[in-house]
Amino acid sequence: MNRRTLVGLLLLWSLGPLLWQVYTSFCSDQALIQPFVSHDQRWTLIHYQSVLNANPPFWRYLVNSLIVGISSTFLCLLLALPAAYALNRIPRQLSALSRLALVGAALFPYVLLFLALLELARALNLGNQLLALSLPYAALSQPLAILLLNNAFNDLPPELEDAAKLEGLSLFQRFRWIFIPLISPATASTAILVFLFSWNEYPIALTWISDSSKLTLPVAMARIAGSSIYSVPYGAYAAATVLGSIPLVLLVLIFQKPIVSGLTSGAVKG
Amino acid sequence: MIIFLLLPALLLLLVVFVVPLFRYAWLSFHADSVITGLIAIPNGGANWLRLLQDLRYWQDLGQTLRFAGVSVGLELILALCIALLLDQRWRGRDVVRTLALIPWALPTTVMALGWRWIFNTPYGPIDHFTKIAGIGSLNILGDPNFAWIATVWADVWKTTPFAALILLAGLQTIPADLYEALRLEGGNALICLRRITLPLLRPYILLALLFRLAQSFGVFDLIQVLTGGGPASTTESIALYAYWNALRFLDFGYSSTIIMASFVLISLICVIAWIGLQVLIPTHPKSRGVIEL
Repeated sequence: MNRRTLVGLLLLWSLGPLLWQVYTSFCSDQALIQPFVSHDQRWTLIHYQSVLNANPPFWRYLVNSLIVGISSTFLCLLLALPAAYALNRIPRQLSALSRLALVGAALFPYVLLFLALLELARALNLGNQLLALSLPYAALSQPLAILLLNNAFNDLPPELEDAAKLEGLSLFQRFRWIFIPLISPATASTAILVFLFSWNEYPIALTWISDSSKLTLPVAMARIAGSSIYSVPYGAYAAATVLGSIPLVLLVLIFQKPIVSGLTSGAVKG
Repeated sequence: MIIFLLLPALLLLLVVFVVPLFRYAWLSFHADSVITGLIAIPNGGANWLRLLQDLRYWQDLGQTLRFAGVSVGLELILALCIALLLDQRWRGRDVVRTLALIPWALPTTVMALGWRWIFNTPYGPIDHFTKIAGIGSLNILGDPNFAWIATVWADVWKTTPFAALILLAGLQTIPADLYEALRLEGGNALICLRRITLPLLRPYILLALLFRLAQSFGVFDLIQVLTGGGPASTTESIALYAYWNALRFLDFGYSSTIIMASFVLISLICVIAWIGLQVLIPTHPKSRGVIEL
């Protein structure tokens, strides 16, 4: 097989299912049931109208996910930046051991933590609060964030900090004027990966949030799916899938570079 | 001073990763359900004995292992092919790299709903295809023989881009002159793959393998939305069973036992996979440890 065919197959495999959703979302119900019969009304926007006029309207979930995503990312970076810096300033063996533990935590299937985290939410009364979700999200993305940012700190020449110290800059000033600007590419990669994780996270959002106006996008989608198994309004589902995918497709297209560099620098430097 | 920078992150990590494990271990030796009024009462090893005799647990464990083994295996093979394709130079490569990443970025539940429509009987495209091809309607999501394949398919679709990206990062670290030297000795593409690419890629394969094995062993979102564990719980995973036990049967003690057992198993599987990979792929003299300590 030549390369053109292979690339075509790859694109078909990657995008086909998504494009099928786009196609479905514009088809009228009759056309979905009998695709090979010609219909007067084949194309329609009715599915989008029904999804956007539902109660609560679909954009509500997008806004909720956006709120959770941004707050989690912010909290995660706030904690991970100092920790990543400090990891280079502790004894070498201890820091190597910490990094190994962080790799282990990053590999851990976090789904299994849902029960303990649910108990925590009950004990601290954190259920049904969107912003409270950023606590577990920031915590679960700490390992990856610290590892990625620590790599960035490692790449800075050590003389840099000595020079800044001689200039009399305090630790905060060094962070503000030297480290933050210099590691901003790694910070951007980390931020986007954390945002993606928080936006897509399902099991914890499922157990922490039950109020239907506070659901994040993944839980809202699953709830739509669970509502009825036999009479399934697939046109509306497809419209919801497309609307739910658009923000992420845009995110990937715009931030492709930092996403790839974040994932690969995590891999290359372990 | 340094310790104050580390402390907040360390505390959060302890609360979220370490405390739960101790909590699960403790709860697994307690009865804590609706029957006890959701109060933990020590019950010795009763939960663990129940686990050993719980046929549904063993069935779910087998299904989870089948799911993880088949989907991670397919993912790695496919990811290696994609990475090799995307490593070559050709026009439009960067655009294809970006587009191929999209499945990975979408929320699992969103596309799980999409797959439910694609595998739908009788209106989905797969069903149309099998009818036109003369195989007839397969009732994919309703047939225990096919439903699990659908879950593997959807999982491979979503997670292959991630694995491909990791392997691609590895391929880019291999210097081209190694290949040229072997070609001069008369090695063909297959020998290059066996003697250079795979050995030098081993740390990256290991990373992708361990990460994907652990994550697919805990598969939850995809199965819950795509099949709900059905038909007749033939696609139910361990994480889903633990979830039912906690939130539907309100039996926190037994749910903790299942989770604790899964944790031990996944650690074991990761160690076995690690050793297995060292045996399977020969060591290259220039191979450097990435997470092979």
